[in-house]
Amino acid sequence: MEGILFPHGVPESREELNDYRNRGGYEALARAIRLPADDVLNQVSDAGLRGRGGAGFPTGKKWALTREAPEQPRYLIMNGGEDEPGSKKDRVLMENVPHLVIEGVILSAYALGAEKAYLYINAEYETALKSISDALAEAKSEGYWGENILGSNFSIDIEIVPAPHNYVAGEDTAVIEVIEGKKAWPRQKPPFPVTVGLYGKPTSVNNVETLANVAPIVLHGAEWYRKFGTADSPGTMLFALDEDVNRPGVYELPFGTPLRYLIEECGGGLKNGKNIKAVMPASPSCAFLPPEKIDTPLDHNSMREAGAGIGCGVIRLVAEGECIVEEVLRIAEFFAAESCGQCPACRMETSTLAMMMKKVQQGQGGQPILEQFGKILAFNKGKGFCNLINMPGPPIESAIKLFPGDFEAHLTTGKCPATNE
Amino acid sequence: MKRMCLVCQNIDCKSRGSEQLMGELEKRVAAKGLDDVEVKPYMCFGACQEGPNIVLYPEKSWYANVKVEDLDEIADHIAGGPHVKRLDTIDPSLKELIYQLLDTGIV
Repeated sequence: MEGILFPHGVPESREELNDYRNRGGYEALARAIRLPADDVLNQVSDAGLRGRGGAGFPTGKKWALTREAPEQPRYLIMNGGEDEPGSKKDRVLMENVPHLVIEGVILSAYALGAEKAYLYINAEYETALKSISDALAEAKSEGYWGENILGSNFSIDIEIVPAPHNYVAGEDTAVIEVIEGKKAWPRQKPPFPVTVGLYGKPTSVNNVETLANVAPIVLHGAEWYRKFGTADSPGTMLFALDEDVNRPGVYELPFGTPLRYLIEECGGGLKNGKNIKAVMPASPSCAFLPPEKIDTPLDHNSMREAGAGIGCGVIRLVAEGECIVEEVLRIAEFFAAESCGQCPACRMETSTLAMMMKKVQQGQGGQPILEQFGKILAFNKGKGFCNLINMPGPPIESAIKLFPGDFEAHLTTGKCPATNE
Repeated sequence: MKRMCLVCQNIDCKSRGSEQLMGELEKRVAAKGLDDVEVKPYMCFGACQEGPNIVLYPEKSWYANVKVEDLDEIADHIAGGPHVKRLDTIDPSLKELIYQLLDTGIV
């Protein structure tokens, strides 16, 4: 299947500058820089590009809001924090197609009228950091960024900022705090970064994959782009399957592809021919889906209607025979550990949920403890600066609803039905 | 089951001296010979802005904004004396939420 980001499948090694140029690389930039910035913004809006970092916000709208903010200068931040467990798509893009990413950054900065772009990259991604750093040097020597790009009036400075490796450090406003030299703590919103962002100035924070889509859109046009995907979710998206399947990896698929295709055709199904017990399509923060929903199309609307989400494309599979209590205990403990701790309600909620789930796993609390999960979640809903406080709810509540037997087994026997221990 | 004095030890309560409070409360409980009472840390009652918080369970008494000078009265209450009304300021719905949770036997 032809892709947008990877026309010939995910490359196994780094694409060099000449190879990128041989497939039209930097042609979009050379063309766009002669046209008004609005043309780039309009093309991206017309293409219907949506953010790939999790929220799916329309990119053109985010840029328009940033441009409409009265303050100057404006900033662009490429968010390559990628701290979601199991996510590796941004790393693959930065390592293997660095020039596609960088051309997207330059085009996006041009559309925004930004004078500086920061590339915020997970500090543990050594290969990605080197790949992007080398590509930046190559691109600069070719005049693709710097002063008066390709003889135009547009100048842009680009700087790499290594990102701390923790979950909250990938949140938009935490990213801004880190670049300002502070702790990775999310800010209270509003104001949103599009109006008050980096150093108080209008800032667009965009995911790596989002920006990697920009050069193909500008090169081939919005109409071409919309041939992929659905009306609501145009284009393709990168999905990650972990080691539980026969062929783990990152796959580029048009939005609207059935989840089953990804799992079975791309991933080759679960190892050892196991059946699927549940799927979490926006791991680790959406509801579990039962196997009956495996034909749900992978797009924003369909996944929302199914009760889940698409997130940043990390698909978690639970196999028959595995215990859902163990799975949600891991999730609850993950959020308790990753809560940055600045919002009291989030501290209370995440630590209480993890403690409660540990009790369930150990067979304590009986049926009444299950009834308390919803109450703790409802009490704290929306009370944090960032969305982390809302993340443990869907996995926990859907697990209790879909798999009451697993919870009952733990609570009545104190043993896990999967391991009998 | 032992009676419990749960003293919150999360960030806000701690920053207002709840570690010292716990130690002082232990001394007072011991001085009164209350062998059936255990003073225990608790991770968070969700009333951080009103900390330090101490909850007596299973009596279900919640004392907020506790200072060292309040501890003698609290110890008296534990020993059967009167409820310290001025420290009972927590919203009833939060109390209910936490009491229900404690009723499941999580501590």
